[in-house]
Amino acid sequence: MRMRKLLALVASVVLLMTQLQAQTSRTFTGKVTDAKGAPLAGVTVSAGSDRRTVTDNAGNFTIQVGSNVRSLRFTYVGYNILDASISDKNSITVSMTEEDKSLSEVVVVGYGTQKKKEITGSIASVKGEALANKPTQSFDQALGGRAAGVQVNIPNGVLNAPPVIRIRGTNSISLSSYPLIVLDGVPMFTGDFSGVGGAAGNILASINPNDIESVDVAKDAAATAIYGSRAANGVLFITTKKGKAGRSKVTLDSWIGFSQVQRLPTLLDAFQYTDYKNEALRNAGTFNATTNAFALTNGPDGQPINTRWYDYVYRTGVQHSNTVSISGANESTNYYFSAGYTNQEGILKRNDYQRLSLTMNVDHKVGKAINIGGKIQYSSEKNLAAVSTGSLGDAFATAGLGRVVMVTAPNISPYNNDGSYNVNGALIGVMGNRVGQVGFNNPVVQLDLNRNNNYIEHIISNVYAQVKPFSWLTARTNYGIDYVLTENDSYFHPISGEGFASNGSVTATYSKNKRWVWTTTLQFDKTFGEKHNVSALAGIEHQKSDGNSFGLNRITVNDPAFTNIQGGWATPNTAGLGIGENYLYSEFGRVQYNFDRKYYLTANLRRDGASQLGANSKYGTFWGVSAGWEVMNEKFWTSAKLDRIFSSFKVRASYGKVGNIGGLGNFASLSQFGSGLYGGNGTVAYSQAGNPNLTWETSKKTDVGINFGILKDRMTFEIGYYNSNNDGLLLFVPQPPSAGLPSTIPQNIGSMYNRGLEFAVNFAAVQKKDFSWNTSFNLSTNDNKVNSLAPGINSIIGSTGGLENPNITVPGQPISMIFVTRTKGVDPATGRRIFINAQGREVFFQHVAPAGQARFMYADGTTAPTVSNADAVVYKNTHAKIFGGWENTFRFKGFELTALLTYQFGNWIYFGSQAGLRDQRFWNNEVAILNRWQKAGDVTEIPKAVFGDNVSNGSSFPLDINVFRGDFVKLRTLTVGYNLPKSLLEKIKITSARFYINGNNLLILTKYPGPDPEVSSNGNGTTNFGVDRNTVANQRTLTVGLNIGF
Amino acid sequence: MKNKILYVIMAAAVVQLTSCAKDKFISPVPTNAISDLTAFDSKERVEGQVRAIYASIKNAGMYGGRYQIFNDIRGEEFNNERTNVVTGFDVWNYTPSNSSTNSVLNHWSRAYYVINLANVFIDGMAVKGTSVVGAALSNNYLGEARLLRALSYYSLLQLYARPFWDGNGSKPGVPLRLKGNTGSDDYALARATVAEVYNQILTDLTFAEQNLPLTNANATLNTTRAHRNTAIALKTRVLMSMRRYADVITEANKIVSASAPFVASTGVAHALQSDYRTMFTSNYTTTESILSMPFATNETPGGQNQLGYYYGPSAFNGGNGEYSLLPNSIIADAGWLPTDRRRSFVQVFSGKSYLTKYSVASTFIDWAPVIRYAEVLLNLAEARVRSTNTVDAQAIALLNAVRGRSDATTIFTPLNFANADALANAIVNERRIEFLGEGLRGTDITRLGLPLPAKPGVSAIAATAQQYIWPISSTELLLNPLCVDNN
Repeated sequence: MRMRKLLALVASVVLLMTQLQAQTSRTFTGKVTDAKGAPLAGVTVSAGSDRRTVTDNAGNFTIQVGSNVRSLRFTYVGYNILDASISDKNSITVSMTEEDKSLSEVVVVGYGTQKKKEITGSIASVKGEALANKPTQSFDQALGGRAAGVQVNIPNGVLNAPPVIRIRGTNSISLSSYPLIVLDGVPMFTGDFSGVGGAAGNILASINPNDIESVDVAKDAAATAIYGSRAANGVLFITTKKGKAGRSKVTLDSWIGFSQVQRLPTLLDAFQYTDYKNEALRNAGTFNATTNAFALTNGPDGQPINTRWYDYVYRTGVQHSNTVSISGANESTNYYFSAGYTNQEGILKRNDYQRLSLTMNVDHKVGKAINIGGKIQYSSEKNLAAVSTGSLGDAFATAGLGRVVMVTAPNISPYNNDGSYNVNGALIGVMGNRVGQVGFNNPVVQLDLNRNNNYIEHIISNVYAQVKPFSWLTARTNYGIDYVLTENDSYFHPISGEGFASNGSVTATYSKNKRWVWTTTLQFDKTFGEKHNVSALAGIEHQKSDGNSFGLNRITVNDPAFTNIQGGWATPNTAGLGIGENYLYSEFGRVQYNFDRKYYLTANLRRDGASQLGANSKYGTFWGVSAGWEVMNEKFWTSAKLDRIFSSFKVRASYGKVGNIGGLGNFASLSQFGSGLYGGNGTVAYSQAGNPNLTWETSKKTDVGINFGILKDRMTFEIGYYNSNNDGLLLFVPQPPSAGLPSTIPQNIGSMYNRGLEFAVNFAAVQKKDFSWNTSFNLSTNDNKVNSLAPGINSIIGSTGGLENPNITVPGQPISMIFVTRTKGVDPATGRRIFINAQGREVFFQHVAPAGQARFMYADGTTAPTVSNADAVVYKNTHAKIFGGWENTFRFKGFELTALLTYQFGNWIYFGSQAGLRDQRFWNNEVAILNRWQKAGDVTEIPKAVFGDNVSNGSSFPLDINVFRGDFVKLRTLTVGYNLPKSLLEKIKITSARFYINGNNLLILTKYPGPDPEVSSNGNGTTNFGVDRNTVANQRTLTVGLNIGF
Repeated sequence: MKNKILYVIMAAAVVQLTSCAKDKFISPVPTNAISDLTAFDSKERVEGQVRAIYASIKNAGMYGGRYQIFNDIRGEEFNNERTNVVTGFDVWNYTPSNSSTNSVLNHWSRAYYVINLANVFIDGMAVKGTSVVGAALSNNYLGEARLLRALSYYSLLQLYARPFWDGNGSKPGVPLRLKGNTGSDDYALARATVAEVYNQILTDLTFAEQNLPLTNANATLNTTRAHRNTAIALKTRVLMSMRRYADVITEANKIVSASAPFVASTGVAHALQSDYRTMFTSNYTTTESILSMPFATNETPGGQNQLGYYYGPSAFNGGNGEYSLLPNSIIADAGWLPTDRRRSFVQVFSGKSYLTKYSVASTFIDWAPVIRYAEVLLNLAEARVRSTNTVDAQAIALLNAVRGRSDATTIFTPLNFANADALANAIVNERRIEFLGEGLRGTDITRLGLPLPAKPGVSAIAATAQQYIWPISSTELLLNPLCVDNN
C-alpha cells in the first residue's frame, strides 16, 4: 500500500516535468584550460537549460547554442563554476580556476550536508583514502587516532572483531556506548552478527573500505540531535563513493599482506616445567614418584618431547584484497560500480575472513526538478574459525586457543608416537606424566577436525526520489532496506575436545534481521535581503526491524563421516531460537540561519517513539542548538590587526539534549512468563520483571570551541571543550539475589558525566614542487565519572567470562574501575603470599597448611578469616585520560611516506592472563615463575611453589599484582608509496599508478607486560572494560599493494 | 504547474503522517512469552507454573546435580581429578570464597529464584489462580509450591548456615522470604536464625502433607511430582538435621510399617526394590524413588552439571571423570562385601576407582535422585538408636532391610554392636554405601558435627572452624546491607 502510493507520486511528478521546448540554434566551439593553460578534459559545458556537452581530452568542445543564449556555463569538479559571455562570438577559450577547497568542503550532517565553514556543531571528518587499502576487515579498524574525541580500540587478534568505538567517552552503563552508524542516510545494523564463539562478525565489514568516500563523526548535541533518541553516543556518517564528473574512470586496488602474532609471553619448556611442577608437588606434600609426579616422555625421535604450543596454533596469515571500480558522471547521471574480493587469514590457524562485495549506485536527473536514484550493496562474507578463541566473552573456555597455548604442558605432544592424536577422553592425554591432567583440549584435534563458522549475506539498498519545484524547496523521500541473513555452522568431532562428551555435535542456526527505513523530508533554503540566509528541514521517518532465528543442534553421531545436521545423528534439539521486532517513529526538523556568513545559528528538534520502551513512556523529544561566530569578518578584528596573524577565526558553542536506547532489548519493558519443560510437560515460569516506565537515557551535551588558521590557513587549529551530563541512565538495577527476581529490572536512574578537551592541528609544513610535508596531530582528554547509581546500589560488578569479577562501577569514580584484592609481596621467611584484607591487616596465605597452622594467618600466627574478593578495593581507572594520533605525510617527487602514530595514556589494565600464567595447578607458567621463593631469606615477588595453589597468584580472585599501566605509543601504520610519473603513464595509457608497502602495528612502545595494551577481553562491554584475560593479541601486518586508475 | 507539484508533495507528506504503521508497530506483543497479566488465566497456565517451580529446582545447578555433588565432595569418598573450580575444586578442598561463582554465588541465587517462584505462585493463586482451578486443585498446587520452597530453604541451610546443633538453631540462618517479589523494592533483609528457617520448612512441609494428594496419576508423576508421602519423607530428613529424633520416628512411622517388609501403607506404596541397581539403570520411577529430577534428551542437565559427567570417567560413559573414589574411602570398608550389588557401581579405570551409578552417556540424562525410601528407613533406624540410646531391635531390622537386599549374606544382630554408638555408626556407615553419589554425605557430616575430612593435599576442618560452612554470596552482601557474612 505504502509503496504503491509512493510510485504513483513519482510517476505523476515525472510526467509533469518532461516537457521540452524547441528553438533555433548555432554551432559554437571552444577550449577549456586550467589556470596554467593545460587543457581540461571532461568539463561540462552547458548552454541554457537543455544543451550540454563535455570537453574532450584536448579540452575542446562543440555545442549547439540557442539564439536566446547569452552565456555558457562551465562546471568541473574541484573548480569554480565559470559563466562566460558569448554574445556574437562563435568560439571561445576559457581558463578555469581551482576552487578553494576549504570553502567548498562539505560534511554530512544528517538528512543533508553543510559547508564545513558553516558548521556550528562539532564534527570530525576522515577521508576515505585514510581507511582504504589497509589490512583490515572493516573501515572502523583504521579509524583510530584520526579524529579528536574518537577512540577506537581493537579488542583482540581475532579477525573481524568489532572495535570498541567511543566518541567522547563511555556514555552509558548498561546500554550500548557504541555510536549510531548512518550509511548513505540510512541507519544500519551494527555489532557482531556472528553467532558462533570462534569467529567474530562485525557487520560494518560488509562495507568495502575502498568504497568509502568519507566518514564524518558527529560528536556534540548540535551535530547529533537530528538523530534524537540515538544520538548520545555520537553518530558516524558513512558516505560511499559516487561517480564524479568527467571521463569515466576505472580503478584497480590490490594488496597482499602477511600478518603475525607478537609479544607472546615466554613459557617454561618441558624440562623447566617438569622440574618446577614436581617441586610444587613436593612442597604440597603430595609428590609420589609413581602415582603423582610430572615426567618427561620421549618422542618418536627418542628425545624428550618439548612442545612449543604457540607453533601449533599461531601462523603467518596471508591476506589479499582486490577491488575494481567503474565510475563516472555527466550533467544528468552519475554512477559508481565496484566489485571487491578479499580473503584474509588470521594469525590463528583456521581463522579466516572472506568477503565478496558488490556496490552499485546511480543518480539521475530527470528534467530540471527531479532527481531519482538508488543504491544496491551486496556482500557475501565468511567468518571462519575452528574453535572458540578464548577471546570475546569466553576467556576461560577450555577450548579457547588464546588460553590453551599458555596452559597446556610443554612435555607432551599433540600426537602419540604412533602418529595418532594424543587424547584422553575430551582432554589431551598426559603421556608420561603421572597425574590426572596436564592440559585441556588438544588444540591440534580441534584445528584439524572442528569448525565454528559464520556466513553472512548482507544487502543494503535504497531508492529515492527528489523534487525541487522551486530553487528554495526540495522534497525528498527515501526508502532503504538493510537485510542481514546469517548462518552459523559449528561442528565438533567426537574423538576428543568439545565434541567428545556428546559423541559429536553439530549445530546450524539461521537468522534473519530485516530493517526498512522510510524517510521523507522537505528542505527549504533561501536568502532574504542579501544577508539573511535561512534553511529549514522537516521530516518524518519510520524504521522497522524484525529478527527471527532458528536452528538445530544434533549430537551423538551415527558415523563420524557425518559432519552436518542433515547427516545421521541421534538427537534433534532446537538451537538459537529467537523472534523479535522493534520500531522507531520520528518527526524531526532543523532551522539554520546565518547573517552575512558571520553569525550562525542552528536548531535541531526530533521527537521519537520507540517500541522497546515502557507503555507509559514511548515518546520523547530531543533537541540541540548551536551558534557560531566568524570573527574574521568583524571590523574590530581587522582594526586590531588580528587578521594579520589569523587567516580564519571562528567561535562556536552548542547545547542540547539527546538520548540513547542502543542495545535495549525488544521487550525489555514487559513483565513476562517464559516457557520450558518439566518431565516432558510444559512450564510457565516467571522469567522477566519489566518496567512500564522504562524510557531513554538522556545526555545533555555542552560544547564550545574555536577554529582558527594562521599562515593563510596552512596551519589550522581546532580547540574544543565538551561536557556531557548523562541522566536517567538505564540500570539493570541488581537486587539482592535473595529477592529471587528472575531478571534485573531496568530503571532510568543513574547519572554520569564525560568532560574533556580536544585539540587538533593540521599543518602543511612544506609545500614545494617536489617536496611536501603535511602533519596533523590530535589530542583528546576524557574525564569520566559516575555520579550516582540507584538508591541503595553502591556498585555494579563487572564480570569476565562469568568466572571472574575484576571490575566495579561506583559513584564518584570513572565507570569500570579495576576491583582487586591487595597484596604486599611475599614473606621472605616462609614464601607465603601476603594479602591485605578488608580491615587493612596483613594476612599470610599458604595453600597447604602444616598441622597446627591455618591457611590464612595473621603475622602473629593466629588464624585469619579467609581472604577473598570480598576484601577487594576499588583500585585503578581503566579509561585512557589522554589519547590521540599524529600523522605525517612526506612527498618527494613520486614518492610518499605516511606514518600514523596513535597513543593513549592514563589507563590501567587487569592482565588476568598473568594469573593463569602463574597458576600452580598443572598449567604451564611463564618463565618469570622460576624466580619463586625457595628458601628462607629469598626476596622475590613470586611465592613458594605449592601445587594446586590457585589463590596466591590471582586465579581464585583478582589481585593487584596483575594490574598494569596501559600507556602506549604505537606506530599504527607506516606506508611508503611510489606514484609512476605522468610521462610514463601516458605511454602505457593509464591515468595513475601507485605502488606501496604498508606496515600495521609495526612498533608498540609500552611497559605493559602483556602482548598488546590495546585490548578488551569483553569487547564493547562498558562495566567490564580494561581486561586482558587470555586474549589473542593484535596482529602485526605487512602489505604490498598497487592502485591503478584507467 | 509548480503549485501542482507542491500539492503532490504535501499530499505525500500527509500520507506518511497518517500512516497506519505508527500505531500498528509501536506496541508489539511478544509471540514467545506470556504476559504477567494473564499468567493465572487458565488451568494450563496455573499448572504450568507449578511445573516451572519443579523445573527450577531441577536446574542442574541445584537438585538436578550440583547440590548432590557438592554434598558428596565435601565428604571423604571422592578425589578431585581436575583441579577445576568450575566443577567444584574449591568445594572439595573447603576453600570456596564469597565470590566463587559456580558454588557460593550460583546456588544462593538459584535457591532463591525457586523460593520466589513459589512465593509469586502462592500470591497469584490467592489473587486469581484459585478461582480459576477451584479450591481442591489449588490446595494441591499450593502444597507442591510450599514443599519446593521448603526443599530450597533446606539446601541453603545445609551449605550457608551453621548446623542446628550449634546453639540449638540460634546461629544466623538465611533471609526468610515468604512473599513474591515482582518489581523494584527495598529488599534489604537480615538473616533469620537457623531455627526460624527450619521451623518455616517444617510448617511448609506440614502444610504440604495436609494438602497434597495421596497419590498422583501414575508412577512417573509419583516420582516427579510431590504427594503426601513426599512431604513426610522430607520431614524425616529435615528433623534428622535438627536432631529431633523423636519427631523423626513419629513422621517415619506414618509411612513405614512396624515390621519387615517395610512399606508405606497409605498413599503411594513405597517399598525397597529387590534389586538396588534397578533404580539407576532400568526404572527411575519405582516406588522407592520418592522424588527424583527427570531428564530426557530434550530436557538435559546442561554442561558441567551432570552427575554422570562428574563421576563417570571417559572410558566408562564419556564423562569427564572429575572425581574418582579415594582408595581409603568407603570402598576400603571390608564389611562392604565384593558380592554386594552396590559394589557393581564401583569400577576401576586406569588404576582408579570410579562411581558408575550414573551410566547414561552424553547428554548424561540419568535422573537425579532427591530422596529414596531407603533413606526414610535409615533415618528411622538412626533416630530410634539415638533417641533411645539403645541397641534398638527395630533399628537393626531396618538396617538389615537395606543391607540385605543388596547383600543377602550379611545379617546384623544385636551381638554385632557393643553399644548404641556402634549401631548408630553402622547405620551412618550404611548410608555412605547406600547413598554414595546421591548427595547425603555432606549433610550427614555436618548434622553429626564431624570434622570435614582430610584428603590428599587438604587438611581436615574442625566443626567449629569458619570453613565448615560456605561463606555468604558476595553479591548478597553487597546488595543486602542487612545480611552479614559467616565468620
